Amino acid sequence: MNNLDYIVLFATIIAIPLYGLWRTYNHPNLREYLKGDRSIRWGTIGLSVMATQAGPITFLSMPGQAYESGIGFIQNYFGQPFALIMVCAVFVPIYQRLKVYTAYEYLGQRFDKKTRFLGGFLFLIQRGIAGGITIYAPAIILSALLGWDLNLTIWLAGGFVILYTVVGGTKIVSLTQRYQISVILIGMALAFGIAVYRLPADLSFSDALGIAGRMGKLQAVDFSIDPSKRYTFWSGILGGFFLSLSYFGADQSQVQRYLAGNSLRASRIGLLFNALVKVPMQFLILLLGVMVFLFYQFEKPPIFFNQPSYQRAVASGHGPELAALQKQFDDLFEKKRVLLQSSPDTPNWSSDVQQLDAQSRAVRDETKKILEKAGANPKSKDSDYVFITFVLNHLPHGVVGLLVAVIFCATMSATSAVLNALGSTTAVDFYRPFRPGKEDHHYVVATRWLTLGWGMVTIAVASFCSLVENLIEAGNILASVFYGSILGLFLVALFLRHVRGSAVFFGAVLAQTMVIALFLTTNIGYLWYNLIGCTAVLLFASGLQATVFRNPEAASAK
Amino acid sequence: MSLHDHPPFFSTWRKAYWFAVLLFAIEVALLYAFTIRFS
Repeated sequence: MNNLDYIVLFATIIAIPLYGLWRTYNHPNLREYLKGDRSIRWGTIGLSVMATQAGPITFLSMPGQAYESGIGFIQNYFGQPFALIMVCAVFVPIYQRLKVYTAYEYLGQRFDKKTRFLGGFLFLIQRGIAGGITIYAPAIILSALLGWDLNLTIWLAGGFVILYTVVGGTKIVSLTQRYQISVILIGMALAFGIAVYRLPADLSFSDALGIAGRMGKLQAVDFSIDPSKRYTFWSGILGGFFLSLSYFGADQSQVQRYLAGNSLRASRIGLLFNALVKVPMQFLILLLGVMVFLFYQFEKPPIFFNQPSYQRAVASGHGPELAALQKQFDDLFEKKRVLLQSSPDTPNWSSDVQQLDAQSRAVRDETKKILEKAGANPKSKDSDYVFITFVLNHLPHGVVGLLVAVIFCATMSATSAVLNALGSTTAVDFYRPFRPGKEDHHYVVATRWLTLGWGMVTIAVASFCSLVENLIEAGNILASVFYGSILGLFLVALFLRHVRGSAVFFGAVLAQTMVIALFLTTNIGYLWYNLIGCTAVLLFASGLQATVFRNPEAASAK
Repeated sequence: MSLHDHPPFFSTWRKAYWFAVLLFAIEVALLYAFTIRFS
């Protein structure tokens, strides 16, 4: 990065929060601080919901995911439109009608205080830790590749966010997210255009896609019912539906975004906008990864994208082994490049290219094993470094600064929504019930202090994240362990009218304990925890209501 | 308040929801056509 890149980077990440502070600074009451001032329209809601979901992992990891495994990951989002329609039809009208500030307030009105606390508590644990990972994930990658101090990078990403979220509340979060997601979309579109432009001049876009297709990178939809396949249409529809329903219906960081709408209609259109835009957006991000993959078929890639880890292994005495693997990798690359420049109509062209590609991957896997042996094992997958390596090494100056700003904008927009939700939930669901009857201003100040406190917690979590082996995986596991039970609470509230507070409370506690026990003792794929936790709450709550808590008077007497 | 207390929630905006499902189905069909074309 040169001076121009730094100017673009800092101008972008500082200007947006400053503009937000200028536009929103006032002395809000609690409603304005937590829900905005009823001026937020559907477009801002839509972009805000999109920005909250699309954290830095989306823009760092997704292109790398496509580079490694193709675009089949898109199917994971197939359940989202149906979940968003259900949120629009069921959750939003109830939240709006009851005029709640948080999703967990609804649990209190439908059941009782302890169920409200349980819902809020599960959310706070999960999101408090996940917020730290959201800051740490890009910080470790950027600090490794750019040579920045890790803690300074964490504070650069987290410090601004804490400041403006504490001051401006929900309105500034929505406003800044609108501009941050705009920067992100412009940056990614530029990267896509440049990646296509940097392909060999004699290779048309259609021919390039043809090569990627023959190399198995463009299977977007797979209707197979083979359970061993990781991404299929069916797993995407079913798993994606439950995950999205929990995320959009019961996660305060999203609920707060659409409750900020100036009407029920604005909230609904903002959500439906995401139902339709999410799949095409993710498709283009994954296709960008395929373009980077194609680029590296003609321009030799590093054998291991996380070069700092690689250099540590070389320095620790594994240089000769790694040099031998590098030689094999270079030979395979040359053979593959020659083959790719020949006519695809040559007999066995596709199978030969795929075979060479598989051999290259095997050499990379061997390299990773040596890195592990050398104790230079990175904290995230090598594919997470693919896109940012392409950006830093092959994009023009200025655009590099903009793309690094994209990563910071994604971190800031996702983190601000999380901090805003954590502060609001703690204030509304835990503080206010124990300190009722105070002036409105008192609760605004309390919410600001609590948001600041959560900011410090997320920074502290980010600082200790280096203890976690694979942090991106850890974030997904954490969400899956808690989301099922939280969604179960809401589904019982909405669909099982006969179930009362004590039954659902103990049902959820049992279900959550069971999921944690399964996580600690078995090797079940973590996405299944969403379905297991949710189903367990529904079954346990119904069972307890039909047996132990059959008589409401007896239940309340207990 | 459970869903049984306010059943009309499902009936309002029905056309918008079907329209969204239709557009999503078109997106998936296009993705499938893309898969067939380039695989």
